[in-house]
Amino acid sequence: MSAKQRIVQGLGLATAGALALGLTACGGGEGGDDDGLTTIGFVAVGPEGAWREANEANIQDTFTEDAGYELKYAPATNLDQKSQIDAFTSFVDEGVDVILLSATEATGWEDSLKRAQEAEIPVILLDRGIEPDDTDLYVTRIAPDNIEVSTAVADWAVSAFPDGANYFVLEGPAGVSVVNERNEGFDAVVGGQPSLVKVGAQTANWSTEEAKGVVETVLKSNNNDVQFIFAQNDEMGLGAVQAVQEAGLTPGVDVKIATIDGTKNALTALAAGELSFVAEYNPLFGETTLEVVEQVLNGDDVESSIVVPSATFDSPEAAETALPDRKF
Amino acid sequence: MPESLPIVEMVGISISFPGVKALDDVGFRLFPGEVHSLMGENGAGKSTLIKALTGVYKIDEGEIRIAGEPRRLGGTADAQSAGISTVYQEVNLCSNLTIGENVMLGHEIKGAAGINWRATHRAARETLEKLGLGHLDPKQSLATLPLAVQQLVAISRSMVAKSKVLILDEPTSSLDANEVEQLFTVIRRLRDQGVAILFVSHFLDQVYAISDRLTVLRNGRFEGEYRTEELDRARLIATMIGKDIATLKSLDAKASRRVRSDEPPLYSAKGIGRKGAISEVDIDLHRGEVVGLAGLLGSGRTELARLIYGADRPDSGEVTLDGEKAEITTPAKALARHIALSSENRRDEGIIRDLSVRENLVLAVQARRGWARPLPRREQDALVEKYIAALGVRPADPERPIRLLSGGNQQKVLLGRWLATEPELLILDEPTRGIDVGAKAEIQEYVAALADDGLAVVFISSELEEVVRQSDRIIVLKDRRKIAEIEGGHGVSADSIVTIIAEDALGDERADAVVREEVTS
Amino acid sequence: MSANARGPVEALKGLVRRQYFWGIVAVALLLLVNLVKDPGYLAVSIGPSGNLAGNVIDILRAAAPVILIAVGMCLVVATGGIDLSVGSVMVVAGAVSMEFLKDAPDTVGSTFTALALVIAVSAALGAVNGVLVSVVGLQPFISTLVIMLAGRGLAKVITGGQNTAATNETFRWIANGYVFGLPVVFLLALLVAVGVGLLVRRSALGLMLEAIGMDAKAARLAGVNRRALLFTVYIFGGVLAGFAGVFATASVMTVDVSRTGYQLELDAILAVVIGGTSLAGGKFNITGAVVGAILIATLDKTVVFLGVSSSATPAFKAIVIVALCLLQSERVRRVFRQRRAAGTARPAEREVVAA
Repeated sequence: MSAKQRIVQGLGLATAGALALGLTACGGGEGGDDDGLTTIGFVAVGPEGAWREANEANIQDTFTEDAGYELKYAPATNLDQKSQIDAFTSFVDEGVDVILLSATEATGWEDSLKRAQEAEIPVILLDRGIEPDDTDLYVTRIAPDNIEVSTAVADWAVSAFPDGANYFVLEGPAGVSVVNERNEGFDAVVGGQPSLVKVGAQTANWSTEEAKGVVETVLKSNNNDVQFIFAQNDEMGLGAVQAVQEAGLTPGVDVKIATIDGTKNALTALAAGELSFVAEYNPLFGETTLEVVEQVLNGDDVESSIVVPSATFDSPEAAETALPDRKF
Repeated sequence: MPESLPIVEMVGISISFPGVKALDDVGFRLFPGEVHSLMGENGAGKSTLIKALTGVYKIDEGEIRIAGEPRRLGGTADAQSAGISTVYQEVNLCSNLTIGENVMLGHEIKGAAGINWRATHRAARETLEKLGLGHLDPKQSLATLPLAVQQLVAISRSMVAKSKVLILDEPTSSLDANEVEQLFTVIRRLRDQGVAILFVSHFLDQVYAISDRLTVLRNGRFEGEYRTEELDRARLIATMIGKDIATLKSLDAKASRRVRSDEPPLYSAKGIGRKGAISEVDIDLHRGEVVGLAGLLGSGRTELARLIYGADRPDSGEVTLDGEKAEITTPAKALARHIALSSENRRDEGIIRDLSVRENLVLAVQARRGWARPLPRREQDALVEKYIAALGVRPADPERPIRLLSGGNQQKVLLGRWLATEPELLILDEPTRGIDVGAKAEIQEYVAALADDGLAVVFISSELEEVVRQSDRIIVLKDRRKIAEIEGGHGVSADSIVTIIAEDALGDERADAVVREEVTS
Repeated sequence: MSANARGPVEALKGLVRRQYFWGIVAVALLLLVNLVKDPGYLAVSIGPSGNLAGNVIDILRAAAPVILIAVGMCLVVATGGIDLSVGSVMVVAGAVSMEFLKDAPDTVGSTFTALALVIAVSAALGAVNGVLVSVVGLQPFISTLVIMLAGRGLAKVITGGQNTAATNETFRWIANGYVFGLPVVFLLALLVAVGVGLLVRRSALGLMLEAIGMDAKAARLAGVNRRALLFTVYIFGGVLAGFAGVFATASVMTVDVSRTGYQLELDAILAVVIGGTSLAGGKFNITGAVVGAILIATLDKTVVFLGVSSSATPAFKAIVIVALCLLQSERVRRVFRQRRAAGTARPAEREVVAA
């Protein structure tokens, strides 16, 4: 019992310590205006995966001192919203010039955003939206469009299977907004094509291993009569490739697999012909963000939603060209 | 008082279990406003009778009448609604709740917004006051209280349920004299309020101190119902175990006669002690000798036993075994050196409830061999058979889970566990507590025989008479230190030990220390 | 464990009394449901490379990692503990092996080096659990929770936050290869389960673990070396989890730092419970844990085979498990028994007072 308390206390101390460190780090930048730099507070998600890493590194690499900015990077601890709110509040108190926010959770931001508004600090949402989506509380949201990306996959599928095909969808965890949006964009196009027959959809929780297990069974239950698999992320697509191979089929020939995200691993597989189509969900929106920040500071009007353009790769050659520059 | 109508009347009750007739045509009456003791050896059928009355067992034949009405008791809930409450040996309370919450559990006073805690606590206080327990704070957590007080709380709880019959099954087995007195005061109050009390205890003194009448069972049969004053102790025991009085007298009179040999001690400790448990003690233990540790509860007798065995790590002192320095800091080390301890806490530190008799019996031997060298099944069976026969464990079924045995038989299995390790030094802490007269006599005899065979035995009991009778030498402890060491034999009695303790207390100019010690223990 | 030499009927009766009997029934029912959907479900054919192929084989392969962690969990639970860290140990093991193999030559030697690394790392993590539980005396729930939280972080540090992939044919063979036409993973898992089963029952280990789980104080006083045994059990559980991690990552030759082994500790606990081992500790049943693991794998595969939609999957699984637990519950079973017996038979065992 007392041991438990000790642990809890220990954790509490550790958290307090981490906060104190964070605060002193923030406090150091008080004189930001003196050296002529624009201070940006970045309430970030932190370590989550390759995509997020590329995304946040890109932001950090864009807002450099050479470009005239001082970026204060505050990643969430363990994807915890409370740590984000704390960081957000201290940025407001400090009086930074602009706040960039990638929220770990969509809800519960009204109070913090209102405080920023009262302090006349513009807030720009990066990637993640908020709920309820009150556009008065922030300047704009910069993100790639899931619907647009999945529509690209669907368009490719329609053109790749003129004679029709049976297809299966590997989804992310049920109920997540990304999954819903990627389904929405895909179904809107493919649903109108009677020649494309959906044999099923299952979650593989974004995981390679689970996707392999799912596809293995799906192929058996359909007697290998599946020509197309839409994997909602690269990892699951790579799992599907292995399951197809284990079943004695050739990916890219017997079964074509399309994925979303566009990581290095996926492009390598595309270059090897194992994947057939990769739609990028572009994490690199530093440039776009920089432009928007400048517009905001100049007092220009900006759209309440800005879509980051994403590329698609539909051939091994396209993948090979893109591979050397891949950042994620 | 018995001339009123009985509140409980059990007629011609029979209950059989596969292979055993547990109760055979037993009758029992309980009147309002009396304390009635149910007597008998373990296995006589006391527990079965109580379980029939509390609806745990279904009766095969016979009838139970409550307040004149025939009742079928299909479960404990039926019994409770018939006004029958039971307080068991092991208190069934929620130790994480407060006294008040425990007393009122299931009878909380409801207000508009759920439970009205203030009123509930007030009601709890009133109930406690009625039983002369007004000094207890209903808001105190139960877990902080000694077992004795918890038992009183359990009794208070049955009063909230407005019970007309209160069954107390071995309520005193872990209480000291002062606590027993406190309990008896409560029992008498309840009796005077007209509650019928069924009392079960192995302590004859207590039975005689509190009971108005006695019912004796033997081997599942009714032996008789007596007014307490018409049956003296010797006759009671004779009735219970079905032997004649002369045999018993001879057992009782057997005086210790072993003489300490001149050879060096098997076990010798200089200044062994542990902070907060017992201050530094010198102790020598010889082969073939029974050394008694005497003292009140909390005097440090159990603590000393645990230090010798390494159950607690001594933080001072030196130990030699046969003249050689020895480090005994864990039970495993002690067993390796052929030292064994039978704990006073049979239930929590002795038996392992869900293991079989066989597994319980071989556990210590197996532990000493280590897990990689299992005792072959044939040897296990031989060992188990040997000790079941030697100690008279009943039923003699090695594969039965030990929890299904009576307390006395559990104790015999434990004794077997330690003897199977072939100890040279055997420490027995309260080996006879809470077991019936027959088993007690058997264990006492066995201990004497062990010492005759050359074992060094340390014997601890809260019954001073028993310590005196068993021991060749007695170490008297008080306030967690050794205050005297006396040779046993003629001229030593329980009274002389009490005198030593009392004189020591006077010497400390704290004449009331004895009493206080009992209270705080 | 008493051998039933009295004939098949007696043996069957003995089986019915076992808790995991209902687990076997559940597996059979699930297979039956699949069979109804596709009459060819149970067919096992010779696959493209001369190995057995079929849905049943897939189930056995999927069950392998769960069997390993369930066996480890079974021993830990027997001591009255619980090991929440197995999933995290799996991902660390996967991360270590992938990071090593990524830059190592594609040889058998590399595989063995990777396995040695896995054993070392997972044993070390198990040892941390063991020390926290047995020496420091923390509650197992808390101790292993620490490793559960820290482990996944550690895996991210090892791979630098990436989902590292590697190529090594031998390593891949562990999860995808066949011996005698059967999946290597399943054979290995079965070997471990049988080995552990024999070890605990033929030696006195089983008795001692049960004694610790039932009554730690009494066991200690009886000379059982609780500390050393607990320490060993947690290390052993860690190593088994490490191998489960190898199975999981070798299957796709990729470690997914956020998904490999994710929440598999719950599957392991579930398998143990289905197998008739009480979470309170004490009596344990390795066979039961294996049955439980196979049931979980069958359930997972059935969900996909039937095409249950993603959102309904958790509910489907929950219903099956709850139904199973109800069947296993003593109270529910008693109701059934009483109906069947209709008053003719008496309950077999009662607290009999010594006569």
